[in-house]
Amino acid sequence: MITFIIRRLIATVFLLIVVSMITFAIFFLIPRLAGQNTYQLATEYVGRNPTRAAVLQVEAQLGLDHPLWLQYWNFLKGIVAGAHYNSGTTSTYCPPPCFGYSFRSQQPVWPQMVSDLPVTLSLAIGAAVIWLVAGVAIGVISALKRGTLFDRFSMGVALAGVSLPIFFTGLISLELFSYKWPLFPNVQYVSFLTNPYLWARNLVLPWICLAFLYAALYARLTRAGMLETMSEDYIRTARAKGLPERTVIFKHGLRAALTPIVTIFGMDLGLLLGGAIITEYTFSLHGLGLFTILAIQNQDLPEILGVTMLAAFFIVIANLVVDVLYAYVDPRVRH
Amino acid sequence: MRRRRTIVLPALAAAAALALAACGSSGGSSGGGSSSSAAAGFNAAVTKVVNPSSTKGGTISFGNSSAPDSTDPGNTYYAYMWNFVRLYTMPLMTYKSCPGACGLQVVPDLATGPGVVSDNGLTWTYHIQPDVKFEDGTTVTSQDVKYAVERTYDRGKFPLGPAYFPLLLAPQKPAYPGPYKDRSKNLMGLNAVQTPNATTIVFHLAHPFADFNYVVAIPQTAPVPPDKDTGANYQLHPMSTGPYKFQSYQLNKQLTLVPNTYWKASTDPNAKQLASKITMTMNMNANDIDNRLLAGDLSVDAAGTGVQAAARAKVLSSPSLKASSDDPLAGFTWFAALNTTLKPLNNIHCRMAVEYAASKTGYVDAYGGPVAGGAIATTVTPPNVVGHKTFDLYQGASMPGGNVAAAKQQLKLCGQPNGFTTGITYRSDRPKEVAAAQSLQASLARVGIKTSLHGFPTATYDSNFAGVPKYEAQHDIGISFYGWAADWPDGWGFFFYIVDGKAISPAGNTNLAQLNDPKVNDLLNKMALTNNDATRNSYTSQIDMQVMKDAAILPGVWAKSLLYRSPNLTNVYVQPYYGMYNYAVLGTK
Repeated sequence: MITFIIRRLIATVFLLIVVSMITFAIFFLIPRLAGQNTYQLATEYVGRNPTRAAVLQVEAQLGLDHPLWLQYWNFLKGIVAGAHYNSGTTSTYCPPPCFGYSFRSQQPVWPQMVSDLPVTLSLAIGAAVIWLVAGVAIGVISALKRGTLFDRFSMGVALAGVSLPIFFTGLISLELFSYKWPLFPNVQYVSFLTNPYLWARNLVLPWICLAFLYAALYARLTRAGMLETMSEDYIRTARAKGLPERTVIFKHGLRAALTPIVTIFGMDLGLLLGGAIITEYTFSLHGLGLFTILAIQNQDLPEILGVTMLAAFFIVIANLVVDVLYAYVDPRVRH
Repeated sequence: MRRRRTIVLPALAAAAALALAACGSSGGSSGGGSSSSAAAGFNAAVTKVVNPSSTKGGTISFGNSSAPDSTDPGNTYYAYMWNFVRLYTMPLMTYKSCPGACGLQVVPDLATGPGVVSDNGLTWTYHIQPDVKFEDGTTVTSQDVKYAVERTYDRGKFPLGPAYFPLLLAPQKPAYPGPYKDRSKNLMGLNAVQTPNATTIVFHLAHPFADFNYVVAIPQTAPVPPDKDTGANYQLHPMSTGPYKFQSYQLNKQLTLVPNTYWKASTDPNAKQLASKITMTMNMNANDIDNRLLAGDLSVDAAGTGVQAAARAKVLSSPSLKASSDDPLAGFTWFAALNTTLKPLNNIHCRMAVEYAASKTGYVDAYGGPVAGGAIATTVTPPNVVGHKTFDLYQGASMPGGNVAAAKQQLKLCGQPNGFTTGITYRSDRPKEVAAAQSLQASLARVGIKTSLHGFPTATYDSNFAGVPKYEAQHDIGISFYGWAADWPDGWGFFFYIVDGKAISPAGNTNLAQLNDPKVNDLLNKMALTNNDATRNSYTSQIDMQVMKDAAILPGVWAKSLLYRSPNLTNVYVQPYYGMYNYAVLGTK
């Protein structure tokens, strides 16, 4: 297992390098191939009515006048060894992993992402717990009570959950429970370390909205998996051997049905850790999702590059964890 | 141009917000949480002070749908930031804090009086107040002001603020690079600014420039102590000379200001220190800001560009909410520049055909109608530019749907009786501008002018597309949508960068019409040389008239903003220069 993990970690590093190369090429190389020169690129980061001298100063300040390979090398070097930045009166050291300096704010990208990370982690993990527990439980019960009122009702709600986007459920919940009847007033992120109660209270609405979307999907997936599993021969054999129904359901039925759930859960959580963009935007939460939106709006290439790398990292790690979990969920994998 | 920050909202969220408008309080709820007094009335704060009070204490909370371009007074160009920085800075001059036309006056702030100009117009001398202190108790000197100006020369470190000082001040050889490169040599090395003593600062200009008092009213003259300057990091804690100082700042997230104990009301009559705390939460969802304003959870929308469509419906349909709102002119003109160099629009009659054919009604509707969008613009300058005179050369107001017959007549004179084809550029992430472009396309089609629409992101609009004359020529772009507000509220401040031939540049160009009319250039030049206020301001309408005669710009809308005035705020009024509430004097109940 350890060899397996080490091998995957090495592959992860190579994968991240490839992701960085592709992202760098998309934002730095392709515009040049399309005819944009570095002067035009620098003009995007100067105020209105710039003189030529001003644009050239900015071009030099941002390092855009260097060859592309050197810019990319400096980026990689910063991640591994950190980088120094001349802020004017002082030289600021950006420790590794230094993802470069924002073209807009002229501040290192990594600390900005790190300060946004707790918001996204709080949001994603809290919502994940809710949707996993609720989605799987509803799916199992629906499968076992197939055709009943509960089954039909829960699958109807699940269909609504899959269909209703977060920007709708989010605004509805805010309108009802924050503005009109302020059960959750003035929703904003408060650190868990500062005030655990406010942390939880202010995240309840985002958690529920996000979990509603995913729980619906998980309930349907679990239901389908359980229905299929529970009609397998070995389930009938288990029952014939006189095993208790609880053991049949949870040890033999659910365990097999969970395999695809674990896969998709890893992917979903990995994606969300890279930023729950719409949820964060709707609830004005300063997480990596909002950071991503702003980086794109501002055409802040180092920020785009940084957040892409971080999102890719989460997805790759989530996949690795899923692969490890697979071995436990499905004994066949171990052999 | 002071930039009006427009945030791209996910269209889906906007649509959902609109759908939710009906869910909101359309009845008698006044919002504003704990307000106990009756609302002052619609547009009350445009002409008078609403809730005048000297009550101290409380927190004023600003919500911001974007982040400031910078909180460094030397590196900001956003209109709302020029308003907001007055809470923690004192530039040499500023705008008089008062509602109505009074608020367009430029008055001394850190300086003891307006600049004294030499006979040849090349030297401007200011004396600064001797007893103004930074937040750490040290006294402000003229050298701190000089250093603040020196910083603006390093465009690598401070690329975002205006660049008037390098443009206007006498050059030196080699060119002054700013105070950071070879600090021992360049610190206080700007020869064009002299400080003969601790309270006197002298600016030497390359050419006479009569509007210099306006230039030093830009926040870039707010003093910066050299030993406290941290370069690009100074934005994280600028040294305050205003009524408030930074307590904490999480970059692009949350700013908290607390009273500056070294500030004295006697030295800064245009600002107040009433609230015990001021916060600005950044990068919030714009609809969320509106709803929190109406619920009383926020005090002010920092951007000052008005409520979004969903809240607009709530405010306008509720008498009580409407009575707590204002609809001032924003100081912006939304317009379309007509490319004077490109065939066939290089023929003035073809441009006049566009002027006549355009539907101004469609233009205003595209921007949100007469309340939230603005008024039909018949001149390039909006009415809140000093020296503005309203006229209507192309019957934009009298025939707001367009004059098709007159347009066809002009097409004949242009030699294109059946119309012509050209391209239109606009910022595709601005839904109102997209709608305006589509409206113009439809109205021009009525006279046979066929147009193709080319939308581009705002971030690259100036640098790669509409602001690149070569691109426009290669892609047959004859019409470019744009918006403009003055850096200072007179004709030169409004017009120079959009119509003077000297302003045309190969990239990042803002003279999108590429107008190089000697008459216009000459009038702007005369304006720069005329120190007499009345004579100088008379040039504003002359320039406006000449630009309209040239048919270089199709004015569309004099922008208005529907601002919600929280009933909990005191001393609320619209400062006409900013077109938003004066942030420097606000208090809370």
